[in-house]
Amino acid sequence: MKRLYKSIVPVILSFIIYVTYTGSLRLYDIFTGVLVALIVGILTSSLLVEDWRKSISLRRFSNLVRFALRYFFIDEVKAHLLLIRLSLSPKLDLRPAIVKIPIKTRDDYGITLVSLSITNTPGTVVIDLNKEKGNIYVHWIYAKTTEPEESYKEVSKVFDEYALKIFD
Amino acid sequence: MLRDFVFMSLLVLIILALTYLTYSGGLGDLPPQDIRTIAKNYLNLTYNQEVSWLWTASPEAVAAIVWDYRGLDTLFETVVFYGAILAALTLFRSIAKAPEFVSSTGLSLIVKRVTAIVTLAILTVAASTALHGHLTPGGGFQGGAIASVAPLLLLVVFGKQFFIGRKITYSKMLSVRNISLTLLGFTSVALLVLGFLIGVEGYIFQNQAKTVSNLSYPTHFLDVPLGGSLIFFNLFEFLAVASGFTLVFTILLSRDDTLRRELEGEERGY
Repeated sequence: MKRLYKSIVPVILSFIIYVTYTGSLRLYDIFTGVLVALIVGILTSSLLVEDWRKSISLRRFSNLVRFALRYFFIDEVKAHLLLIRLSLSPKLDLRPAIVKIPIKTRDDYGITLVSLSITNTPGTVVIDLNKEKGNIYVHWIYAKTTEPEESYKEVSKVFDEYALKIFD
Repeated sequence: MLRDFVFMSLLVLIILALTYLTYSGGLGDLPPQDIRTIAKNYLNLTYNQEVSWLWTASPEAVAAIVWDYRGLDTLFETVVFYGAILAALTLFRSIAKAPEFVSSTGLSLIVKRVTAIVTLAILTVAASTALHGHLTPGGGFQGGAIASVAPLLLLVVFGKQFFIGRKITYSKMLSVRNISLTLLGFTSVALLVLGFLIGVEGYIFQNQAKTVSNLSYPTHFLDVPLGGSLIFFNLFEFLAVASGFTLVFTILLSRDDTLRRELEGEERGY
């Protein structure tokens, strides 16, 4: 029974991917889509979902959507502007450093979200992580500080707070 | 500098010579400019209900040629492919049956989480490709090849232990493959057997009704053309290819010294 609850979100996700990839909504596509989504969703549910109550929480989902919008339209734009300024300035004023940053989220998906968000913004790349101690190591092209707490505020605070709201 | 120039001129000369040879017919006949009769016939008949004794009920001409008009060719291609997998499995049979317990923890948790989501997408896309093989480009083999990427990724990212822990065993995959192959064969002779039982004419690889035989696979399902036997061929080919590739990947991702130990006797002649 628990496995079925766990499968709810994977099944929905699989169905959306099926219909999008197929590119049509005829009766045949919906019928086979539901069938495939059920099989694939149940097969992969234990791989994808740990706590099914978390997975169907609408509050967490709305946070995820809010984060996606914020990330692509604010954080990405800000990071791009900074890097454009850096690369166009004649002095090429770089301050590269690898900083240790403590993050609060302990969930696997949460850590993944924070790490990928940091890596995907230009200028910062996650190069290693220590799950037990909750530290990630980030290469920063323009390190304003090398203090862990200060770096946390500069680089990962927004991502980490959203990750806590979405996954923890 | 001179060396580069000589080398480049030589390359250009070779290309020009080959072009001249090809155009003058020195490497065999050139393909004709106009569409050949047989191609015209395939295009005209594949989904032509007015010539219902020659049509295939599938709008996808390639799938129709592969599994209906030239079905027997595809059957033997399939046999060759499975023969190759069978040979690989036989060569490494002792590894396959007693899986080694490598204490591999896989890659980092970031890669693991992303792979988990991608696995769901890969399997879904693969199923869609196979189930629409009679409507759009794609089909059973293509779908199966896509699907087999998922276990390959899981093996690399989560380690071999992952499969053992989830009871995805060698013998289960082998059973899936064997059952799919049997069903594939059964699809090709189903109408022949049915005809034999009810006392009418039927043929091997018969899909739609012919002038002398009115047996036929269903032409439509819900609101799309089904292509008769094509959907079944695609479905079983999908399962067989996916499980066959998975079997080979499981073996080939064994540790190097295990694989070498398996082949050690070769040079000593036993």
